[in-house]
Amino acid sequence: MESMVKRNNVKVIGKGDQVILFAHGFGCDQQSWKYIVDAFTDDYRVVLFDYVGSGKSDLNQYDSVKYGNLNGYAEDVLDICEALELKDIIFVGHSVSSMIGLLAAIKEPTYFQKLVFIGPSPRYLNDADYTGGFERTDLESLFEFMDSNYLGWSSALAPAIMGNPDRPELGEFLTDSFCSNDPVIAREFAKVTFFSDNRADLSKLRIKSLTLQCSDDIIAPLQVGNYVNKHISNNSLFIMRATGHCPHISEPEETIRAIKAFI
Amino acid sequence: MSLQVDKNLLDALIDTETLYQEAPCGYVSLLPDGTIIKLNNTLLTWLNYTTKSLLYKKKFSDLLSKGGKVHFEMFFKPMITVRGHIKELSYEILKKDGSVLPVLLSAKAMKDALGSVMAINMAVYDITDRKSYEVELLKAKKTAEDEKRTFQFLADLIPEMIWTANADGDIDYVNQRFVQYFNLPERNFNLSSVASRIFKEDRKKFLNAWRESIRAGTDLHIEIRLDNYQGNSEWHLIKAVPYINQDGLVTKWFGSCISTEEHIMALKAKDDFISIASHELKTPITSLKGTLQLMDKIKNNHPDPLLHKMIDRANRNVNKTISLIDDLLNVSRINEGQLYLNKKRSVIFDLINDCCSHIKYETGYDILIEGDSSIEADIDEGRIEQVIINFINNAIKYAPESKLIEVGYEKNGQHVKIEVTDKGPGISPEKLFHLFERYYQVKNNSSGNAGLGLGLYICAEIIKKHNGKIGVKSELGKGSTFWFTLPANM
Repeated sequence: MESMVKRNNVKVIGKGDQVILFAHGFGCDQQSWKYIVDAFTDDYRVVLFDYVGSGKSDLNQYDSVKYGNLNGYAEDVLDICEALELKDIIFVGHSVSSMIGLLAAIKEPTYFQKLVFIGPSPRYLNDADYTGGFERTDLESLFEFMDSNYLGWSSALAPAIMGNPDRPELGEFLTDSFCSNDPVIAREFAKVTFFSDNRADLSKLRIKSLTLQCSDDIIAPLQVGNYVNKHISNNSLFIMRATGHCPHISEPEETIRAIKAFI
Repeated sequence: MSLQVDKNLLDALIDTETLYQEAPCGYVSLLPDGTIIKLNNTLLTWLNYTTKSLLYKKKFSDLLSKGGKVHFEMFFKPMITVRGHIKELSYEILKKDGSVLPVLLSAKAMKDALGSVMAINMAVYDITDRKSYEVELLKAKKTAEDEKRTFQFLADLIPEMIWTANADGDIDYVNQRFVQYFNLPERNFNLSSVASRIFKEDRKKFLNAWRESIRAGTDLHIEIRLDNYQGNSEWHLIKAVPYINQDGLVTKWFGSCISTEEHIMALKAKDDFISIASHELKTPITSLKGTLQLMDKIKNNHPDPLLHKMIDRANRNVNKTISLIDDLLNVSRINEGQLYLNKKRSVIFDLINDCCSHIKYETGYDILIEGDSSIEADIDEGRIEQVIINFINNAIKYAPESKLIEVGYEKNGQHVKIEVTDKGPGISPEKLFHLFERYYQVKNNSSGNAGLGLGLYICAEIIKKHNGKIGVKSELGKGSTFWFTLPANM
C-alpha cells in the first residue's frame, strides 16, 4: 500500500464513511481540486492522487507502454482502490479522467457506487456522424504549443524540465509548480487523451452516473455531453452556467452544488 | 549625500497613461471568462485591430488558433486561477490579416477579498525573433532525436552486446542483445546486478581491471566468463574505451562484450588434440632416437661414407623432431598448470656462458656477454637456459645477417634483468604486441619456416612462473632486444 501512496502521491483527508475519489484531468494534478474539496471533508472521506507522470507522483514509475492507453491510467485508479481497500466509492473525474473512471468501473464495478463526469468526452476527434470538436490539425497545433512552451521561454513550465535528480534545489521549484509536468510524459498523456476513442465503452457502464457539462467548453462541447448522456444508461446530464473546461476551478460553488445534489 | 532633483520635472516626464498606451509591451485585461475589457495602443498596433472591434466583444481566446485555444483553456485558465499569476507562456496571437504574432504572456489575477478572480491583467511580449530561433532549436532537437533512434536501432541490430557507462563506470545504456543475454526486464532493471552475472572466479579480476581503467582512463581489454540467462557461463572479450571530451576529461565509456566462447572452445579442442598427439608421438620417437644412437656408435664398423652421412642426418632430424614435440608437451603442461620449477641459487654468468658456448660452437655466431659475474639468482636453471637459448636462436633465425649478438645482464634493485640484442631488421610495432601469444608466427622471414609459434609463449610462461617480467623492444632497421627479469631472491 505504501508503494501505491508514493507512486500516486495519494492523500486521504476528511471524516465520514463514504469515500469520494477525485481524479484530476490532463495537464494538472490533485491541486486542481483545492477549491471544492473543503466542501466535502466534513461528511466524506476524500481521496486525492496524481496519475503517474503528473504532479508529485513517482516519475520513475512511468512506463510508456502501460500508459500508452487509458486502461493503464484506469489501472492506477483500481490499484488505489485495492490498496486502500475502498468499496462503493463516489468517483469524480475531470476531463479525461471521466473516461478513465468509466473504464475502471466497467472492469471492477464493485469498487464504485456513483460516477461524476466533469466535461467528459469519449472521442475528441470528429468522425463520420460524430462531432468531437477537433480536427487532426487542431491537435497537432496543440502539441506544437505544448512543445514550444516546454522548450522555449516559459519559466512557468521550465522547472519541470529542470527536475534533475542531480540538482535537488531545482526540484524545490516543482513543489510549487501547479501544472508543471514532465514535458515528454505530458506530450504522451496528451496524445493518449486526445486520440482515444471510448464511444463503444459507454454502453457497458452499469453504475449510476452524472455528466456535468459546461455551457461554453471548446474541449468538450455540448454535443459531446449530449452524446455521452444518450449512450450511457442511467446517466443524468446537468448543463452548468460555468463556462470553459474547468468549472471546479472557475465556478467551484456551482460545481459543489451540482455534485452534492447528485450524491 | 543626496542628489538635487526637480521632482516636478521628473514626474512630468513620465505620464502614466502614455506609459500604458505606448509601453514597449502589449497590455490587455480580461474578465475571468476571457472577455477583453481593456488593451493598450502597442498591442492594437501590433495586431492592426481597432479598440472598437475588440473591446467587450471578443474573448482573448478568439485571437488564438484552435491549438492555442485548447492550451489556453487547459493550462492558462487553471493556472491563473490557482496560482494567481503566470510567467511567460508562449502563444501565437492572430493579427487582423490572419498572420500570427508569436508572443510570451505573463499575467496576474486581480482577486476580491474572498479570493475570487475579478479580472486578469496580461503583459504581451513580441518574440518574433526569438521564435524563429526557437523553431531552429526544435528542429535541431528533432534531428538529434532522430539520430538517437537511428543509433539505437543500429545498436540493437548488432548481434553482440554493447553498452555505455558514465565517467564513474556506472552502466547507463545497454543494447537489446545485452538485455537478451542476461534476460533482464525491459525497463527499470538494476544494472549493478549485472556484476553478479560475471562468473564467480572472474569477478574480482574483472572489477580490478575495470577500476584500474577508470582510474587511469585507459582502454579495458579482458576475457571473462558471463553467466547467461540459463545460468551457463560463456567466455567473452570485454572491451571499453574512454570518450574524452574537448576539455580532455573522460565523460563516457563505450564498451562491448564479444562472445569468444566458440573461439575458446576451438582452442581447447586444439590443445587437447596437441596434448594427446604429442604424448603418443613421444614414446616411439624416443625409441627411434635410442636406435639411431646405437647405430651412430657402430657406424665406424662400416666403411661406406654415405651410411655415415645418412646416420648423421637422421640423428639431426630426430633431435629436431624431439625438440618440437617437447615444445608441444611443454605447452600441454602449461595449459594443465603442470609447469613445475626446480629452483636453486645460480650464478647468472655461468648459466649464460654455458648456453652461448654451445651455440657458438654449433653456428659460428659471435656472442658477446656483458655483466657482473658475481650476480646470482634463485632459478630453475634448465628452464631459464631454455629461455636464453630460445632468445638467441630467434636472433639467429630472424636476424641472420646480424653476426654479433649481445647478451647483457644486470642487477637492478631486487631484480636481475637479462637482455638479448641483435642488429637485425627489427620487428614492426603491430607484431610486437602478439609475439608472446600462443601459436603466433612471424611471417615473411627469410628463413621461410616459421615454426610452431610456441617458443616465446613457453618462455613467457616460464618467466611468469618465476614471478618475472618478459618483453621486447624493437626498431625497424636497427634491431631488437628481448628481455626478461627475475627476482634476485626467492
